[in-house]
Amino acid sequence: MSMCGKAALLSAGIGLSGCLEASKDKSTNLTSGVSKLGGTFIDGASGADAETLNWILAADATSLGYIGLALDGLITYDNKFNIVNRWLKNDIRTSDDGLSYTVTISDDLFWSDGKPVTADDFVYTMKNLMFSDWMAYTYAGDWMEEIDGKSVYVEPVAENETTFTIHRKTVDPEFLYTVTDLLVYPKHIVSKYEGDVKAFTQAPELNNLSYTGNLGPYRYKEWIRNDKIVMERNPDYYLGKQNGEPYFEEYVIKIFGTSAARHAAMEAGDITSTGIDPEQVMKFKAIPTIQVFTIPTSGYRVLQYNMRDNGWPGLREKKVRQALSMAISKEKIIQQILLGFGEPAFSFIPKVSPWYDEAGLSMFGIGTLYDKNRAKQLMKEAGYGIEKNGEIQVVDKNGGKIKFNFVTITGSAVHESMAYLIKQELGDIGIDVDIKFVPWETILRKYYMNKVPGSDQPERNNNGPRSVSEEPWDLIYA
Amino acid sequence: MSMKSYIAKRLLHTILIAWGVMTAAFFLMRIGPHSPADKYLATLGAGHNVSQVAAAIESRYGVDRPLYEQYFTYITSLLHGDWGWSFSTSMPVSDLIRTHWVYSFQLILLSSIVAILLGITIGIFSAARKNTTADHITTFFSFAGISIPNFWLGMMLILIFSVKLGWFKTYYDTGLPMFSLSNLYALILPVMTLATGMMAGYSRYVRSSMLENMNKDYVRTARAKGLPESIVLRRHVFRNALLPVVTIIMLDMSGIFFGGAYITEVIFGIPGLGWMSLKAVFSDDYSVVLAVTLIGAFVTLFFNLVADIAYTYLDPRIRYE
Repeated sequence: MSMCGKAALLSAGIGLSGCLEASKDKSTNLTSGVSKLGGTFIDGASGADAETLNWILAADATSLGYIGLALDGLITYDNKFNIVNRWLKNDIRTSDDGLSYTVTISDDLFWSDGKPVTADDFVYTMKNLMFSDWMAYTYAGDWMEEIDGKSVYVEPVAENETTFTIHRKTVDPEFLYTVTDLLVYPKHIVSKYEGDVKAFTQAPELNNLSYTGNLGPYRYKEWIRNDKIVMERNPDYYLGKQNGEPYFEEYVIKIFGTSAARHAAMEAGDITSTGIDPEQVMKFKAIPTIQVFTIPTSGYRVLQYNMRDNGWPGLREKKVRQALSMAISKEKIIQQILLGFGEPAFSFIPKVSPWYDEAGLSMFGIGTLYDKNRAKQLMKEAGYGIEKNGEIQVVDKNGGKIKFNFVTITGSAVHESMAYLIKQELGDIGIDVDIKFVPWETILRKYYMNKVPGSDQPERNNNGPRSVSEEPWDLIYA
Repeated sequence: MSMKSYIAKRLLHTILIAWGVMTAAFFLMRIGPHSPADKYLATLGAGHNVSQVAAAIESRYGVDRPLYEQYFTYITSLLHGDWGWSFSTSMPVSDLIRTHWVYSFQLILLSSIVAILLGITIGIFSAARKNTTADHITTFFSFAGISIPNFWLGMMLILIFSVKLGWFKTYYDTGLPMFSLSNLYALILPVMTLATGMMAGYSRYVRSSMLENMNKDYVRTARAKGLPESIVLRRHVFRNALLPVVTIIMLDMSGIFFGGAYITEVIFGIPGLGWMSLKAVFSDDYSVVLAVTLIGAFVTLFFNLVADIAYTYLDPRIRYE
């Protein structure tokens, strides 16, 4: 467990879609369940283009988004966050002891050369690619567990043509989500690159997704870097038999250099859909040809308190953490920064989850638990306050002013606004906050990774209660 | 020294300077605080072993080896025609440049032609009508053209001509055939955006250069001989006024080739080399940055050479001896 206290806030994303005549026809057909759709769907995106279509090398969400058009994956989620099976024939089975996960894939999945997708392909992908030293898969750590102080990989085994089981030695409830993210390569194609990372990285069939067969709704057609990727309807799509062909003849993701250019394209009707920021919602809602959709996300925003030795000592006390959480209004954050597109959260489990339970949750930051006087009182009870002229002054153990070192991500307007609002809220109870903006990778390297000072431990996320990060900090919002 | 030997000598200098620039860029990029692993780390959750992941990724891209080894590997590959692999776009750098240079080239070529033709014409017109209302109007618009930032002008053109009037698409469509009227039409707004500042600048240079030459003795002599004013301006004043303007145009051209068109590319979604280079810099994509630096150095030196050679044709008194 990480040595951080956390105050959580749930947020929601916003989606925007053009509502042209053709879109209305599409909606009608969608509800009937029979696709008679056509045309080109152009999704506007701004920022960086994808870096690769070779999924194991992908580090950016854009790349994974492109890849997802051609490779469905084992499961997906509906708009209410329910799991919907895709390549899975039936739900992943977890053994009673929680140590084995059995995955059975559909028997109608094929690679482009007509060979069937097998359990052996999945096992090969894991053992020989994802878990190999030569590949250096970025997320390999998700597939490891700690045994006798050593990190070891889980053990995948093919049971038959379509079933494989992943064996663990320790229980990890989150591992199911790791399994559901699994993608696959065709063993008979990638095995020729095994051990040669350069050849694998540059393999044309992996970089243009020419192996994807019937595994996704679209097939790769063209990718002009920094411009667009064009995917075409996959007539062989395995779900096409039940649900009709994929909706569009072509699915294009067009990259714009600025969000202003992207929004102009949306306004002019040159693209079909794009995402917008909260402050753009009213403007686009006023345009009759455009329909704005709010799409919920399960992401949350977290303010973390450093309880390690290089954080302010008071943060190790529960009353202090509760006082701080009581002094920061989650409603203010939602209304003033997220413009209403969010809701307070008090747990890492999203509200829509069947495991979400409000019983026993203290809802700090809203209602009666947003109370600055009570926050001061709690600080005093913890030994960090003195009474002067009938008022409580929050001070450290030596009577001096408390000053927090607050670290957040650089280059994000939301993070910046959030940092200043938190500074203001804590300022109201007499705590000074110094804000430091740093890149996320620096936060990872210098603020999260830790080791016991003077030891020869490799730096890791958690090296025990006495380990500290390279840089000291009190609060992180990342 | 004959012109041929002069050019050969300059080409040799060009190669040496380009090599120097590339070497400096190579080492400067690698001694910086960034690593190609950073972008991977930025996507990791806090539960990963960052040091291990960073080391593995640096090893994948060969940047964990000693600098001198990386440098010699790069030079050897370059001499064999291998520009390396772009890991921010997942394709060979040579393919990347081959695919994208044309988008920049057509934009720069058309913008330059428009800017040079209109800039020189307006400059001559303005100089010939010094201190008249026409001169004041052209001066006003020239200063406006110089002052308006490209990104603002581009966005305004999109909002007026694409969003409000619907005459143009809001972005450049790479699906259009390269040699077609529809492609030319699609380039009108980007060319207007890029050419406006250049044109305004050229018109000011031409005007002041023309005015400087108009008071020279040889011009007075030409007028005294009874030559018509149009001939005096064209044959005597303009030809001499062109010398400094040629230098400026050539420097401009190399600057634009080197990435100066990237703002226009970004606004209009043109996947040219300018935008590509910018992205490569932010992605620590060493191979692309080095290739673009090398090409940029060659192009800059080439245009300087062209300017020098152009001098000899514009002014027969200049000889390279």
